[in-house]
Amino acid sequence: MSSAPLLKVDNLTTHFHTSRGDVQAVRGVSFDVRPGEILGIVGESGSGKSITCLSILGLLKANGEVVEGSADFEGKLLTGLSDKQLRTIRGDDIAMIFQDPMTSLNPTLTVGEQLIETILAHKPVSRSEARKRALELFDLVKIPSAASRLDNYPHQFSGGMRQRVMIAMALTCDPKLLIADEPTTALDVTIQRQILLLLKDLQEELGMAIILITHDLGVIAEVADRILVMYGGMVMETGDVYDVFESPQHPYTTGLLHSIPDVRSHTKQRLTPIPGSPPDMLRPPEGCPFAPRCPHAIQQCLEAMPPLFERPNAKPTVHEARCWLHHEEAPKALQSIFDAPEVSNG
Amino acid sequence: MLHYLIKRILMMALTLFLIITLTFFLMHAIPGGPFTSEKMLAPEIEAALNAKYGLDKPIWQQYLSYLQGIITFDLGPSFKYPGVRVNDLIREGLPVTAQTGFLAMLCVVALGIPLGIVAALHQNKWQDTTIMAIATMGVAIPSYVLATIALYLFALQWQLVPTFGLDSWQGYILPVLALSGFWLSFIARLSRSSLLEVLGQDYMVTARAKGLHPQTILFKHGMRNALIPIVTVLGPVVANLLTGSFVIEQIFALPGIGRHFVLSISNRDYTTIMGITIFYAAFLMLMILIVDLLYMVLDPRIKLGEKAQ
Repeated sequence: MSSAPLLKVDNLTTHFHTSRGDVQAVRGVSFDVRPGEILGIVGESGSGKSITCLSILGLLKANGEVVEGSADFEGKLLTGLSDKQLRTIRGDDIAMIFQDPMTSLNPTLTVGEQLIETILAHKPVSRSEARKRALELFDLVKIPSAASRLDNYPHQFSGGMRQRVMIAMALTCDPKLLIADEPTTALDVTIQRQILLLLKDLQEELGMAIILITHDLGVIAEVADRILVMYGGMVMETGDVYDVFESPQHPYTTGLLHSIPDVRSHTKQRLTPIPGSPPDMLRPPEGCPFAPRCPHAIQQCLEAMPPLFERPNAKPTVHEARCWLHHEEAPKALQSIFDAPEVSNG
Repeated sequence: MLHYLIKRILMMALTLFLIITLTFFLMHAIPGGPFTSEKMLAPEIEAALNAKYGLDKPIWQQYLSYLQGIITFDLGPSFKYPGVRVNDLIREGLPVTAQTGFLAMLCVVALGIPLGIVAALHQNKWQDTTIMAIATMGVAIPSYVLATIALYLFALQWQLVPTFGLDSWQGYILPVLALSGFWLSFIARLSRSSLLEVLGQDYMVTARAKGLHPQTILFKHGMRNALIPIVTVLGPVVANLLTGSFVIEQIFALPGIGRHFVLSISNRDYTTIMGITIFYAAFLMLMILIVDLLYMVLDPRIKLGEKAQ
């Protein structure tokens, strides 16, 4: 709680209106992003992590709507702004990069043009100045022989290079917040690491905050300061990244940690997948969305939505989990699952 | 690039040669001839006519002498209209056909594409439903039905436009409407679906996330990509419209070349059949070449004449 939050999301609720009814993609998500920090949002497909960020920037598809809650950026209420007002913030103060650099760049325009148009949309500069800026950005994201590559088309770049182009494009106006929606998912493993380190370097160099959306806990462990675990359109657990990895306070987080292979382990170890499948967001369950798949669920979990319970004495930041087992009346035997780190290999 | 163009033009010449050969022999395979009619001509007169037009010679000789004419762009004399050469037939009919065809083309592009855009931008709203309902009818109703109904209503009942001829600008309205109706509807539907597909692409979200103006997003990022399949269809459509329609020219009594196309076959007017076929084929191939060149402008991923890597 060192400084005022850059972005404050409060009880954000997003629905998609479909012919079968409303899909409740995001159900009351609240979190803060502080200046210069990396917040990792983790969750499986359909957990609402991407939709949360698209809602903040007003980039939802036509049938999507923020029905409740707010997103506040430096005192400006983003959720109340018109599209015209949001345009001055998108790509300027808040930039976004996406999962698949193969499809996120326009195939019929040169990458230079795609960079230059972003600069011209936000800055009162001439074309040649914008081009100069584009060159600087290419150097910044370490694209070799930048000058000649500006006039290339996206298909002339490899996947990793395209993601660098996307990052350069996001950095055109020195954003205060960069939202990276699964920036490494579509890339080769070796390239994934390069891109992650590049993001981390840039974050330190430029002092921007990053929201890193991923379903890969390894990515979070590598770069994030804080973590937000989402499931069924809700925040399940949030806290400092070391805290959460050391002693997860939600069975879902524990489950996620169990389903990653540990290469350092020499014993033959089977991965433990989480059984079952995510809830139907057309009719989300009344109780904890994870309860039907939770090995420790009690009757209460199925009947009522648990609130976020704060873990006492968490450092350096608040550590909360949405689980009934933290209630003082919950069976003590079950509570003990959170005490000792259960991640015992072999 | 130049290399590619030369190759394409040589290929076109070869294709045209094959079309000429095929049409020539198929045409001669149809029973009857230009001078066969219900009123039997005296055998000696028919023989004299055949001799005059070289029809008494063996067919391969006729073929060779026809090819000889083609090389010098001489399409030969019409068998049906004495003293008229096929070149003149085309030269006289083409301006009429091309004018209505060009106007129809203009309607197709200037109305079809914007209607498709409006429909796509208002997907499943009333604008979309209305446009698509009309476009579906436009595709389904044959042009001659549309022409006849329009003639009856606008020319006969309400007398807003002349029933035939192109003497005043009003005269163009119905033929152009009838001519463009199908393709206008077709292009509107194609533009809609093509743009809808592009609107769902990831790079459109990127464009929005960059804070670009909605018009820039729609035209620079959206339409440029959506145009690729539309241009594919427009090439042959231009050839189709500019060479006219037999039915429309017949209904509105327009002196174009479209009607020669059909009449010449029933008349066994050999040289006219050949002339019009060659003209249409050459024009169509030219349009397809232009489309291929346009692709390159629209989509930089397409490099003509280079082997795929």
